[in-house]
Amino acid sequence: MFNWDNKIMIKVLLLISIFAFSQTVWSKDSGYYGYGQPATPEEIAGWDIDVRPDGKGLPIGSGTVSYGEELYEAKCASCHGAFGEGEGRWPKLAGGFDTLSDAKPEKTVGSYWPYASTLWDYIHRAMPFTQPQSLTADETYALTAYVLYLNEIIEDEDFELNQDNFTDIEMPNKDGFFVDPRPDVNNPACMNDCKDPAAIKVTSAIKGITPLEHIDKEKQSSEQKMPVIEEQSITDPSKVNEMKMGGSIYGKSCVICHGQGVTGAPIFGDKEAWAPRIKQGLELLNKHALEGYAGDAGVMPAKGGNPSLTDQEVNAAVLYMIENSQ
Amino acid sequence: MKKLSTTTRGLLREIKAEAAEIPVAERRNFLLRGLQLTAGSAFAMGAAKVMAEGSLPPNIPAWTKSLGRGVVSVPYGQPSRFEDDVIRRTVSWLTATTESSISMTPIHEMKGIITPSGLVFERYHAGLPDVDPDQHRLMIHGMVDNPITLTMDDLMRFPSESVIHFLECPANGGMEWHGTQMEALQFTHGMLSCCEWTGVKLSTILEEVGISPDAKWVLAEGADGATMTRSIPIEKALDDTLVVYAQNGEKLRPEQGYPVRLFNPGWEGNTSIKWLRRLEIGDKPWYQREETSKYTDLMPDGTARKFSFIQESNSVITSPCPERPMLRKGVHELEGIAWSGRGTVKRVDVSLDGGVSWRQAKLKGLVLPKAITRFSLEINWQGEPLLLQSRSIDETGYVQPTLTQLRDIRGSNSIYHKNSIHTWKLDTDGTVSNVQLG
Repeated sequence: MFNWDNKIMIKVLLLISIFAFSQTVWSKDSGYYGYGQPATPEEIAGWDIDVRPDGKGLPIGSGTVSYGEELYEAKCASCHGAFGEGEGRWPKLAGGFDTLSDAKPEKTVGSYWPYASTLWDYIHRAMPFTQPQSLTADETYALTAYVLYLNEIIEDEDFELNQDNFTDIEMPNKDGFFVDPRPDVNNPACMNDCKDPAAIKVTSAIKGITPLEHIDKEKQSSEQKMPVIEEQSITDPSKVNEMKMGGSIYGKSCVICHGQGVTGAPIFGDKEAWAPRIKQGLELLNKHALEGYAGDAGVMPAKGGNPSLTDQEVNAAVLYMIENSQ
Repeated sequence: MKKLSTTTRGLLREIKAEAAEIPVAERRNFLLRGLQLTAGSAFAMGAAKVMAEGSLPPNIPAWTKSLGRGVVSVPYGQPSRFEDDVIRRTVSWLTATTESSISMTPIHEMKGIITPSGLVFERYHAGLPDVDPDQHRLMIHGMVDNPITLTMDDLMRFPSESVIHFLECPANGGMEWHGTQMEALQFTHGMLSCCEWTGVKLSTILEEVGISPDAKWVLAEGADGATMTRSIPIEKALDDTLVVYAQNGEKLRPEQGYPVRLFNPGWEGNTSIKWLRRLEIGDKPWYQREETSKYTDLMPDGTARKFSFIQESNSVITSPCPERPMLRKGVHELEGIAWSGRGTVKRVDVSLDGGVSWRQAKLKGLVLPKAITRFSLEINWQGEPLLLQSRSIDETGYVQPTLTQLRDIRGSNSIYHKNSIHTWKLDTDGTVSNVQLG
């Protein structure tokens, strides 16, 4: 049975184990340094914008497919395409079902993304590209519903998505992901006679798609030249400040379409494309830029789809593009 | 006698050097003349030769016979003007816009293992934010006892650590899963850098806030326009993850997350969130865009790997390479770099015959875990065509695979984590090109 020695020994062991546990798991108590300020619930609420697949983080709100379509056409279609097909190198959002094992898979929201929460979270935190965190919760529900509708995951155009029915949505590829199993390859590190030299086939690089002008200056660059403000190119010196503002706005907003001709936009510096437009006069070009315009070649959204720009900023950007394209 | 450069670039560089000796008033004329001369290469060679010899022994160069600039004429030092082609570069057709894009480090020009801060590759998802450190806060909350916000001053009061580790985008080399596309080393392997990073261990901060025993994941979030996010397992967060505010002895560069970033040693660069504003502790991963739509590896059967964090061991020969051809016959130091996200590089083998036979290279300089490691092998080249390869082996015994071995398991559509043995084809004229072997 127990004697005092044993009891003391047990207590000592217990103390040692508590001490050892606290040392290995938490060598210092929380608040040891006492640096910083407590984060208040209001501060956390302002920044904690993430949404998880189980719905944690979804705010109260709702939006219909049809409202989403309206928003999508105004704010998203210029890059992602009217049907989510993606303009140029901008991401394709819809379609691509059953292509993931093809030679050219199409990884879209519908064909690839495992959770709808990712869509809500990403639209809300990072879209539209030039105006992140500008969408309300209701707008985000509506846009999420519309992108799911484009993918035929929601089929009813009167459907209203909200915080309560959100987690009912099941994405087609939800079971398509598994945790990385690497290392998955075993190279035996052979040193001699590792293969038959006669059997080696050599495939060379595709020529002409690498920017190589720094290696061989004679070679034409495949790079697009980014425009620079050269003051001597400005026809009216009194416009220098406006040009600088215009250049800055251009770089932040307009370049997304006018840099590469997305949605039929005349490309910056393309004199032929700009000449007939410049002929119409600055006043009309400013009007189209401010109010939006749909022509034969394509669509110009009002203020390039960025309503936070002032009229003066938009006009400066128009001037900047004209001056550099004639 | 000095051997003259055979490239236009080299010639221009020599002419520029010569121009420095000539009084400013005459320099313009001289440069014009020089440029006209380069048009006819035979004349140019002769002319540049005569001019270059003006500085060579037994003559005394102008910089030896005059006073140079005084101190603080350039308060923050810059590289020599003759090094103006050592810069980051991008491949414009890769992405729709420069704000969501990547540039590459000129690793063909790098020496030692440290990448200068201004040459570390860039990766932005919504452009480079201009963050005011006084107005920046790092918030730590979620499954913690004491949620806090830290100013930069608060953060820098914690005990600091400095480590030397590589940083690599998991898409490094990923353009070439289907076949060779890039004709230069900067583009095949340049989404890679190695710096000294200084900051606070994330485990120190997690101890300070006191995390719940049920905590399994940490969400890291940036303050850029993409508020870029990744879920990090708690095991990594409590192991070697750092909250970093300095790089190579000075504050982080804006491109690298100024004023504060996360740094996950050995893991894909995308997890090392820049402009770090928030760490949330939770019990499940968040499945954010960058860990579902992107940074997952598509397999041939249409399923995909998720949370593929480790940057497995990789290596490449950096001299010669397409940017640095073999200009002469004779003895050459064949040089390259190797690295592993699992620890230290133990050995690098080199093959000159496309992988038929291999010999061990020498590791040189600092050999550190999860850092760029240099290897070298002297060869006597007499103009024979070669197929140059390197193969790294790390401390876990992992051997860098061939592309065929990778494709046999992963197919060609996974975009990320292509760390296969790379082949340079050396032709009899000394030029080097990027090839793949079947």
